[in-house]
Amino acid sequence: MTVTSLLFFDLWDEFMLWSILVGVFTFGWLYHHSVTYRSKDGEELPNVDEIEVGVFPKENDDLRLEVAWTILPFILIVYLTYISWAPIDSVWTSTEGGAHGYECEAGYYSNNVMDSENGFVTSDCYHILEVTGKQWAWTFECNPDVEVTDRTYELSNDICDTGTYQVEGYGMQPSVSLKAGETYLLVMESEDVTHSPWFIELGVKEDVLNGQKTTMWLPITSIGEGLILCTEYCGDAHSLMAGVLITHD
Amino acid sequence: MNNKNISRSLAVFTILVLAMIIAPVATSFPTGVSGVKDSGCNCHGAIPSDTVTPMIEGLPGIYNYSETYAITVSFTGGPTDSGNINQGGFHLWVSYGTIATLDSTVQSFADNEVGHTEAGNDQTSWMVEWTAPANDKNIKFTLTTNSVNGNAGGGAGSSGDEWNRVSGSVSAPVEVIESANPFTVLATLIVVSLVLLFITLTYIFYRTSPDTFDWEKFGPWIVGWITSTDHKKVGTLYLISGLFFLGIGGIMALMIRIQLSVPGNDFLTQDQYNQFFTMHGTTMIFLAAMPLINAVANWIVPLQIGAPDLALPRLNAMSFWLQPVAAILIFTGIFSGGAADTGWTGYAPYIVSETAHSGTTMWVAGQIMLVASSTLTGVNFLTTILVMRAKGMGLMQMPLFTWSIFISNLMLFISIPAFGVGLIQVYLDRVIGTAFYTIEAGGDPLLWSHLFWYFGHPEVYVVIVPAFGVISEVIATSARRSIFGYRSMVYAMAGIGLVSFIVYGHHMFTSGMDPSFRFVMMLTTMLVAVPTGIKIFNWLKTMHGGSLVYRTHTLWALGFLLTFSLGGISGMFFPSIAMDLHLHETYFVVAHFHYVFVGGTVFGIFTALYYWFPKMTGKMLDERLGTLHFLTAFVSYNGLFWPMHRLGVVGMARRHHTYFISGEDVLGSLPAEFADWNLFISINAFLFFLSTFFLVANIIISLVRGQDAPPDPWGGWSFEWMTDSPPPTPSFPLDNLPVLRDANEHVANEPSKLGIWFNRLMVADEEVSN
Repeated sequence: MTVTSLLFFDLWDEFMLWSILVGVFTFGWLYHHSVTYRSKDGEELPNVDEIEVGVFPKENDDLRLEVAWTILPFILIVYLTYISWAPIDSVWTSTEGGAHGYECEAGYYSNNVMDSENGFVTSDCYHILEVTGKQWAWTFECNPDVEVTDRTYELSNDICDTGTYQVEGYGMQPSVSLKAGETYLLVMESEDVTHSPWFIELGVKEDVLNGQKTTMWLPITSIGEGLILCTEYCGDAHSLMAGVLITHD
Repeated sequence: MNNKNISRSLAVFTILVLAMIIAPVATSFPTGVSGVKDSGCNCHGAIPSDTVTPMIEGLPGIYNYSETYAITVSFTGGPTDSGNINQGGFHLWVSYGTIATLDSTVQSFADNEVGHTEAGNDQTSWMVEWTAPANDKNIKFTLTTNSVNGNAGGGAGSSGDEWNRVSGSVSAPVEVIESANPFTVLATLIVVSLVLLFITLTYIFYRTSPDTFDWEKFGPWIVGWITSTDHKKVGTLYLISGLFFLGIGGIMALMIRIQLSVPGNDFLTQDQYNQFFTMHGTTMIFLAAMPLINAVANWIVPLQIGAPDLALPRLNAMSFWLQPVAAILIFTGIFSGGAADTGWTGYAPYIVSETAHSGTTMWVAGQIMLVASSTLTGVNFLTTILVMRAKGMGLMQMPLFTWSIFISNLMLFISIPAFGVGLIQVYLDRVIGTAFYTIEAGGDPLLWSHLFWYFGHPEVYVVIVPAFGVISEVIATSARRSIFGYRSMVYAMAGIGLVSFIVYGHHMFTSGMDPSFRFVMMLTTMLVAVPTGIKIFNWLKTMHGGSLVYRTHTLWALGFLLTFSLGGISGMFFPSIAMDLHLHETYFVVAHFHYVFVGGTVFGIFTALYYWFPKMTGKMLDERLGTLHFLTAFVSYNGLFWPMHRLGVVGMARRHHTYFISGEDVLGSLPAEFADWNLFISINAFLFFLSTFFLVANIIISLVRGQDAPPDPWGGWSFEWMTDSPPPTPSFPLDNLPVLRDANEHVANEPSKLGIWFNRLMVADEEVSN
């Protein structure tokens, strides 16, 4: 079981790089000062700033330095925000003519195209798939009723199929079988409390609410089998509320 | 203190103890025998009778997996024999497996529970079938039978009826060693801790005057503490209760770690695990971290600003005493077998659903009291800091610890009403059936999340900002320098306080709220790094050119810089939404917030304890034990939480009671190395827990035979170091309050802009005297 989300790891690598740089800088500084400026004469003095009880000490500041370590981190976070920006589009692209086009007409395929640099997927059109959460099981519906989709045909089993799958430790769990190269829009709702399907390998999750539909994009780019876990606490059997995503050619 | 008051206090105490004893009866044990009251077969009298002899026949000594056995239940004796042939009833319950009915004389209440029907109440013997479970369990049967005299039709009800109970047991094919019920373990440990606490208190009472020791003085002594409004005594009470609950929360954490130490473990059931992580989070944040911060604030803030006491001492005592009462309410569930199982975030609609435990109501009630307590504390500290500063101490001459308490109380005071409102709604929903969170009635599933996190995010800064204050004091004093960039330190803290109110949405990136709102929250959350960075760099620069004296509190402060920076850096991964979609609710989050809560808040509190302990007690702590505490705690702490980052990224979700490792490339299995990592984490959890005993031992040893502390052992500048150790009561004489001098003359004579602005809000002294 490995996380294969390029979108995630692309950002992860960049953030790790900056974390390490900031960490090396800060901890190097901490190490240097705590060794260099340790008191060599034991407990007693030198009392550098002539600190005295009941007297507010002499000011010790340097405006240029303080401004520097206000501005520089700010520039860094502006940059980190900038690189976090583009992937948001792929997560929340519009359902009407966005990066994934419109809902597929009968016989049409998504034809996913992935930008291998940042994991951003664009496609011609998408298929709607309904996910329902309840305590404590998932239900996948390839051909939901008109409330969810206005398409007039049924998806072929090749594009979307549901079934069950024996998962070691978790028992018999519902599965959904999807086609690589296709993009799916999950339209989700809960029958009782809040749940959240986590497609571990794809690195995405979104809460499933009662009384409000939520959506999530699921562009399938590789083949394999992956676990779906519930990641919004929902009561007794929360940790065993699982599902299986099977992707095939 | 006279005898009347003692007896009154004792009466109140007795009522509280009785309430706790009654509480378990108030809710039936969830896995127990339902339909039949523990006190008896409910419609046939309260007390079992020896004359009735129930019997279970057909039970095997050892069962075979999934095999079905025919069982006969019957009874003899009681009024049935004396002329009322064939009048009787029964109820049979089994711990595992299923019981099936064979005919119309028996009805099924649940898979594991049957009783007689209307048609079956004229018999003394019934037949049922029991199917054994497919795994190894120790099976327990409980049979209750009624022997009836038949006068119910005549209007006499169940008078004269008799009943009795018998149990039977069946062993598994492979012998099962019963593990202790985790709740029994926890409850026992809580009681043991209470007893230890009581023994310690008695010993301290003895030590206060060993020569004139007299038990008759014990009552007045303890009542003196309970009724005290002195900020120092209330601070000590906060400290004791905070450390006590830190221990209780730690025990819960250890039990969680026992459960997670090996894959597929069943030490805790899912249901128990859910209660454990809920109670652990609630205890640690509301009953350990907040009181410990209040302990230091109570002790130090009036001393630092040169005030004789807090502005509202009685309110202060009330703030404290609301906490133990709230704790009793919150813990009621543990002793009645159904503690809150909602997570410390208590997400709606689960918290108002029928599946949430009954203890949740008590949890909510206790939290409402804590909200009241925090609000009163906020009023008190804001007032004290704004109006009771010594002459010469403008806002911009306040010690940084006082600044941090001012800002954190301001944040708490503004944010906690949202939580209070949510809690009251939930309480009404659960108790009297209002429909704030009933979705069918138009309730909003996200309302609670917004209310909770509007409070919840400032709350996490409320517990970290005071630690910033402590570290500022300690680093400056230990390095023999004035803090670098005092002004930017204050502005950074104020900045964190301000930003804390507009970042809470990052807890809800996956919650289905408006995408544009998520985007705004991403920007603001990233911003938090700026003021935090300023603080860290200022601390580092303070050491520059200084003369760093290594004492225990210095070590803790440097340790804080390291762990808190790591926690801050890992926090930068969450505002990036595309990453958060993966990391949300995983062990990466657990690792992050323990790095800031433990590596930040708890390390900060330990720093404060080592730093101000001589001031509080007049006794020096042992440096060698302190260093040993730091080294063991620091190493085990990092061993405990660092590997969790990786567990989260690879796929271990938080709030899951177990995980599975069933082989390479098997679906649903974590990588094999994760078994080792989890065991490693659990071992370190125990080491970290045990390391705290160095602190406890240190405190006890120092109280018994520690060196006397001078007024200013470390060379600090603020007013608390002017008073004796321990300080007198009132802390400063009312007719001779201290006056702050300023080494920077030009600043002292002109009030700061902020000071002028606040002064406008205040009632002028002349008006008060008129």
